[in-house]
Order: sequence, then C-alpha cells, then structure tokens
Amino acid sequence: MIATIITLIARRLVAAIPILLIVSALLFCVLRALPVDPAAMSLPPNATIAEIDAKRHEMGLDRPLPEQYAIWLRGALHGEFGQSIQFHRQAGSLVATTLPATIQLALAAMVIAAILGLGGGLILFRVRGTILEPAADLFSIVLLSIPEFLWGLILLFVFGVALRALPFTGEVAPGLPVPHITGFLLLDSLLIGRFDVFLSACRHLVLPAVALGLAFSPTIMRVLRSSLFDVYHEDYIQQARLRGLSERRILVGHALKNAALPTLTLTGVQFGILFSGTLLVEVIYSYPGMGNLMVDAVRNADLPLIQTIGLTYCVVVLLINTAVDSLYVVLNPKLRLR
Amino acid sequence: MPGPLARSLRSPRVLIALGMILCIAGCAIFSGFLAPHDPDEQNLLSILTPPAWATGADPSYLLGTDSLGRDVLSRLIYGARTAMLVAFFASLGAMVIGTILAHISGYFGGAVDWIIGRMVDVWMSFPPVIFSLILMVGLGVGLSKVILAIVLVDWTRFCRVLRSEVLIVTRNDYVAAARLLGFTHWQTILREVLPATLPLVITLVSLEMAIAVVVEAILSFVGLGVGADQPAWGQMIADARQYVYQSPSNLLLPIMAIFLTVTAFNLLGDGLRRTLDARLAETGR
Repeated sequence: MIATIITLIARRLVAAIPILLIVSALLFCVLRALPVDPAAMSLPPNATIAEIDAKRHEMGLDRPLPEQYAIWLRGALHGEFGQSIQFHRQAGSLVATTLPATIQLALAAMVIAAILGLGGGLILFRVRGTILEPAADLFSIVLLSIPEFLWGLILLFVFGVALRALPFTGEVAPGLPVPHITGFLLLDSLLIGRFDVFLSACRHLVLPAVALGLAFSPTIMRVLRSSLFDVYHEDYIQQARLRGLSERRILVGHALKNAALPTLTLTGVQFGILFSGTLLVEVIYSYPGMGNLMVDAVRNADLPLIQTIGLTYCVVVLLINTAVDSLYVVLNPKLRLR
Repeated sequence: MPGPLARSLRSPRVLIALGMILCIAGCAIFSGFLAPHDPDEQNLLSILTPPAWATGADPSYLLGTDSLGRDVLSRLIYGARTAMLVAFFASLGAMVIGTILAHISGYFGGAVDWIIGRMVDVWMSFPPVIFSLILMVGLGVGLSKVILAIVLVDWTRFCRVLRSEVLIVTRNDYVAAARLLGFTHWQTILREVLPATLPLVITLVSLEMAIAVVVEAILSFVGLGVGADQPAWGQMIADARQYVYQSPSNLLLPIMAIFLTVTAFNLLGDGLRRTLDARLAETGR
C-alpha cells in the first residue's frame, strides 16, 4: 500500500511540473510587460543613460524574453531568485524569513476552521426537520457570504477597538524580543524559555487566525451536513437502528466515520485557498508574514520579489493539493485498487 | 406551475435581496443628489469629527469626517457608485468570456475542450488574490483597470461550472433534433443550449457581483484599486485603520456598507439558485 501511495504522490508531483512551468512563464511575461525599468530603479536617480544601459545589460534585460526566462529558470532551479530591488537582498531569503509566520497563521486558522466547521455541521444536522432549520440555514448562508477580508475587519473592530480585549497589530507586543531560530515564533519563544513572549504571540495570533478560520468554516459545515444526510439514507444506519443502538452511537460510530471522507477532502482543498487568504489577514493585522511582504513588493514594483512570492504561493497551494489527493487515496479503500 | 421568473419574485430571499440592492444602486446612481458634500472636498480645520449624535460633532457632517476632513457620508454614497460600477461591469465581462468559452468547450468537446480545460487549470492554480494583485501592478490603478483585472481572474468561475452544465444539456434529444432540423452549431447553441443554461448563468452573475465588490474593496484597501481621486470603501477602511482610536465609526461604516452589499448579492444568488433551478425547486431544498 505504501508503494501505491508513493507512486501516486510522485505522479501528482510530476503532473504539477508543467503547471508550475506555465505559471512561472505567465508570471514572467506579465511582469516583464510592465512599464517599469528594474535597471533604472536599482540605480541612484543621478545615474546617466549609459550607466542604466550598462546595468540593463548586466541584468540581462536587453536579451529576448525567452532567453531572459531561461536565465531566470536556471537561477530558480539553483535557488537563486534574483535580488530584491528595494531591500537589496536575495528575494529567496526574504521569502524564507517570512514564510514560517504565514504557515503558522495558516495552520492555526485551519485548526479553528475545522473545529468550527465540525461543530457547526453537527448543529446544522441536528436541527434538521425542526422549526430551527430555516433559521440555521439562513445563518449558514450569511456566514458563507462573509469573506476573510470582512471577518478580519469585523473582528478587529469588535475585539480590538470596541472591547479592547485583544491586540490587533503585529505578531508580538512591542518591546518584547523576537527570537529567530526556526522562524516559527510560537516555537522559538518556547525554545528560548520566554513564556511571556509565547503568551503575547498567542494573543496576537487569535484575531487573524479566527478571522481566517471563520471564513472557511461554513463550507466545511455545509459539506459535513450534506454528507451526513447522504449517509443517513444508507441501509447500515437503518440496521444499526434495528440493532437498538442509540442515536448518539449511530452518529459517532457509524455516520460520522463515513461522512468524514468527503468533509476531509474538502477541508484539504479549502486549506489551499485558506493559505492564499493569509495575505489579506496579514495586511489587516500588520502581521509580518509573506503576505505583507508581497503587498510591500507590489507597492514598490519590486519585480524579482513579486515574482518569487507569487511563485511561492502557487507552489505551496499545489503541494497542499497534492498532499490532500494522496490522503484521500490513503483513506478511501475503493480508490486504492486502481 | 408558475414560470421560474414569477417563482423567483415570490421568494422572500430574492425580494429582500432585491430591495437592498435597489437601495445601494439608488445611492450609486443618484450620488450627486444624495451626497451633502463633494466627496473629495477637504476641510483641514475639522478633521476626524465624530458622527452627529456624538459630543463634539459638527452638524454639517452627519457621519463625521475622515483624516483629511472629508465628509464620510458623501464618501460612503460615492463609494457605492464605485462598488456598483465594478460589480456590474466586472461580473458582466467575466460572464461573457466564461459563458462563451464554456459553451464552446462543452458543446464541441474534443481538442477545443481539452485546451480550454487546461487553460482553466493553469488559471486556477494561481490564488485569485495574488493573481489580481500582480495584474494591478501591470495594469496600474484606475476603475477600468480594477474591472479588467477582475474579469481576467474570474472568468474561470463561470467557465468551469457552466461547462459541465453544457455537457449535460447537449446530451438531450432536443439538441440532436435541432441539428437534424438543419440548425447550424451556433444556432443550436444560441437557441437550444443557452436557454437551458441561462438560470445558472444568472445565479453565477449574482454571486460574482458579491465577489467583485469584495475584490474592489481589497484592492482599494491595499492602495492598488480605483485610485486616490475616486472614493472607495476599501480606501476609507485603510484610512480609518490608522486613526481607529480617534474615530472608530469611520472604520465601522464602510465595513457595514461592504457587508450589506455582499450579503445582498449572495442572498439574491442563493434565492435565484433555489427558484430558477428546476431540480432544486422541485425538491424544495
């Protein structure tokens, strides 16, 4: 079985390569079509035309587009993504320092989305056929229609500004040290034994993570409810009832186990979307992750950095989808035979 | 059984949503009459004044002023114009491209279908927010640029969903009959396939409008939206985010505006989906 899974993952990864190539080429073309000149931008304003031309030649900007792409691709395969224009640092290392913060936020949000989705889905299922059903239904529609951008702002307003219950700027209170060991602040603060930093980081993570989690829980809720509906039409549920099992045991022991599969697949797909949703939440809460770096790069037309971050988002989303596909096969015996 | 349109207009969801949308659209169309001030007029002597019911308010600014002394109410009303323009034209554009490609893809099948399908795959492997940000770097700020960016990102939403619907419709006997009667392919698509997929198209447009409103707000919030000369809810939020303790209402009001608009479009989409789709309407779910 392990061999099957490995073959499957390998096949998915190979299938992702052409997509990545096309995406990176597309990204390259869009960014080269811009009316900005990276050579002129990386020189001081009093540079002469000749100096700019020399710089253009040095950066390879005077060559044909396919050749430029080939040069960039060769560099990318060696981990060289070019130099950021505004920070004068390697774009790859800038991404590497901000990516852990974004992953930490995405994971925390995913856990919250899963808990809310599971709880909400069970509640939606339990109220079926009662007078509460239309209300719960409408409620889930309203929840479904609020994107993470609005949740971020609403939570910021209610808990940050009106109630002043939680901090809403940055990843840790100002004045506290920010250790850099693994890049994951929650882990690092424990590694250096600073419990106060850990606590502050947790408090700063609550609002962004909940905002993101709330935006993605309704889809999980609705899929869990409809898969539970489907499962309850199966014969084995009737049989369990005839055997005299309590409704609770039917739900926990039989129905939930079978309804979990479609829910889990969807949760995985959602995780891919959720990951790119971190960008907005990071901007709203000034959370120092990859999303804020991206917006910074976009505002300053920092092409190498935009390109690197854009590609990183695509790669992470593709990797998540590959992992979800494989997990699906592991959990679904019917697919393993093929 | 009443027609689908009449059925839709009796659904409370659709009616409530239409009422809300009419109000917002009214603000958008008549913003010149409704707004008490010029939305760009700065009054640096009275910046960040609170709404009229709070202490220290200036009665000529009903909902207070922002950090440049501009009237918040007027900016909210003109912001509705920006949001509605983007919602209308962006979803229309995405619909036209997505629907045409979906019908070609699903009807003809084969190599065309494969190419369009792979195009959608590549497009969708790009997270939409990242994609639209990158496009805005390329296009520059401005109302038409925002619309274009949304169209270029979101046509896939229509294409993907509609293609499978077209596939189902095309298998019907009446489509084959139309071909036997001597209809050309294009006549068949226009007269036989499109009417059957239209309910889904309308529903998708309504949902896309909600998405467009949010995307416009996001781009304006980041500073890559319609541009500084055009009032937009996203800009108002970005401005208020900096002075959140001095003037919390400035943050709350545009959030509420976006929330109500998005909810209205989604409610409309949900109501239409339930009433226009014959299969859903019969089961009553």
